Amino acid sequence: MSEFAQQLVNGLTVGGIYALIALGYTMVYGILKLINFAHGDLCVLGAFIGLTVITSMGGATGSPAAWVVGLAFVVAIVAISCAGALLEFAAYRPLRNAHRLSAVVSALGASMMIENGIMLIWSPQTLVFPQGILPSKSWHIAGVVITFTQLLIIVVSFVLMAALYLYVNRTRFGTAIRAAAIDQDAARLMGINVNRVIVSVFILGPALGAIGGLFIGLYYRQAVFNMGWTYGLNAFIAAIIGGIGNIPGAMLGGLLLGLFNALAAGYISSTWQQAITFGLLIAILLIRPSGILGERVAEKV
Amino acid sequence: MRTVFYRWIGPAIWIIGLGVPLVLGPNWISILSIFSIYAVVALSQDIVLGRAGMFDMGHAVYFGVGAYTTAILNTVYGWPILWTMVPAVVLAALVGGLLAAPIVKLRGDYLLVATIGISQIFHLVMVNNVAGMTGGPDGIFGIGVPSIFGYQIVSQSGLFLVGWLLLGVVLLLMNNLENSRLGRVFRYLKEDELAATTLGVNARYYKIVAFALGAGVAGSAGTLLASQLAVVSPGAFVFTESVTLFAIVLVGGQASIPGVLLGTVLMFVVPQVFRELAQYRYFVFGIAMIVVMVIRPQGIWPRRRRIE
Repeated sequence: MSEFAQQLVNGLTVGGIYALIALGYTMVYGILKLINFAHGDLCVLGAFIGLTVITSMGGATGSPAAWVVGLAFVVAIVAISCAGALLEFAAYRPLRNAHRLSAVVSALGASMMIENGIMLIWSPQTLVFPQGILPSKSWHIAGVVITFTQLLIIVVSFVLMAALYLYVNRTRFGTAIRAAAIDQDAARLMGINVNRVIVSVFILGPALGAIGGLFIGLYYRQAVFNMGWTYGLNAFIAAIIGGIGNIPGAMLGGLLLGLFNALAAGYISSTWQQAITFGLLIAILLIRPSGILGERVAEKV
Repeated sequence: MRTVFYRWIGPAIWIIGLGVPLVLGPNWISILSIFSIYAVVALSQDIVLGRAGMFDMGHAVYFGVGAYTTAILNTVYGWPILWTMVPAVVLAALVGGLLAAPIVKLRGDYLLVATIGISQIFHLVMVNNVAGMTGGPDGIFGIGVPSIFGYQIVSQSGLFLVGWLLLGVVLLLMNNLENSRLGRVFRYLKEDELAATTLGVNARYYKIVAFALGAGVAGSAGTLLASQLAVVSPGAFVFTESVTLFAIVLVGGQASIPGVLLGTVLMFVVPQVFRELAQYRYFVFGIAMIVVMVIRPQGIWPRRRRIE
């Protein structure tokens, strides 16, 4: 029983990270109907930038002050948001009226460029996050171990998800985001600046993604330039499970996928865990392509 | 212009190509061997993506099925390389058809995501050495060279000619597909599936046929790749390869033979020439893909619309 509970805690941690990254995919898809393949790599870029800030502020030895870790998050968030907005401006905006595959290829190109760029700037080797960035405290509750890092990830991701949910559902601009996702032309006729909505989505998504990427580094204590695909694909699957384009769906999908992966790795097979995940993806696409919370869309003729 | 190209200039270039081993050095010959193999795969990707209009982002899987079939039959059972091409094509087509059967009903992005899933599962199956035949992460070594009438083709020029011949056959096939009923059905399905169905086209059947055909052609290239490199490993069929093939078709021009060939040159030949810059490869490709799409969303050498 306690092992099950332990897997639950681990799954919730990873699920929170997936959810943060999945939100970036789903918000972009909701409005532009574009799979932003570069999103996973942006998140990884966030992890590398954060790590660089921490090590250059003396975090390589001993434990850095809390404000250094905070600064790392802020720098990563700002840098990745700018990168996201720049990407939208340079690679996606010119293709908004082109055939959608053109934008897909542009996204793939951006992904390759960022991934290779990380390798060129940092290293082709795996970088290790030094020990002691976060307190190594942990709690034992009824045989279940929760580390400080896990607690931090779970709490922060839940707070961020709640904040985003409220922002999208309770504010004027959030309403504009939802309107643009439903029908861009109608939103424009209602006086919504759809361009601004799109840019904002390319800032919000990568900002959350940068946090997710830095969490990956802090949780697994390592980062490698090409891990964007692995985590990006998982987060993307999470977005599909919840219903692509649906914001609460991405949160739910991320948490469910994190739990599913932890249980599959713990109880079935860790070598086959990724294959099981992709099997699940194909099964969901076949049975209910609109995901758990997605609405079935009538086909346009 | 277009007819002239296909009728005369295309075949002429191909015939001139036969003389390459006489003129160019061994380095260039091996680069062109690789070109012909990847050109065949890219053309097969074009059957599914450019002609039938299905977003297949796992095409390297079928290429891999062909290569592994040849590798296993040659190293374990001692089959001659060229004979293994038959089961390689059949098996790849079978795998293509069987995997496609349940998923072709998915549209657009959903199909794309499903094929990504297939490609990841294939990679894991090969790495984890299922049935103990694929050699795990290291792959299979010591694959032989083709032989014709008992004469072993060991030289690089010989391998080049075999590849060039296969490319010729596939180009002929593509040309026939262009003007055949099957090709028109694919085009119709791509342009307007609903209209095609109302005219009695069995969409599901023809979509599976497109996958099987594309997979079979990719399988034939797999045989040659196994022989050319003498080793088959999962790394040659990873998702990035599928992405590159996908990009070749769109960067070159969908359903355009010269476009796809040009795309292959850019994505597979150029990096072979600038090997010392290999670490910048994907950085340059990435930027190039964005730039080409922004400037020419329809591809560098798009298919011309013919008045029929």
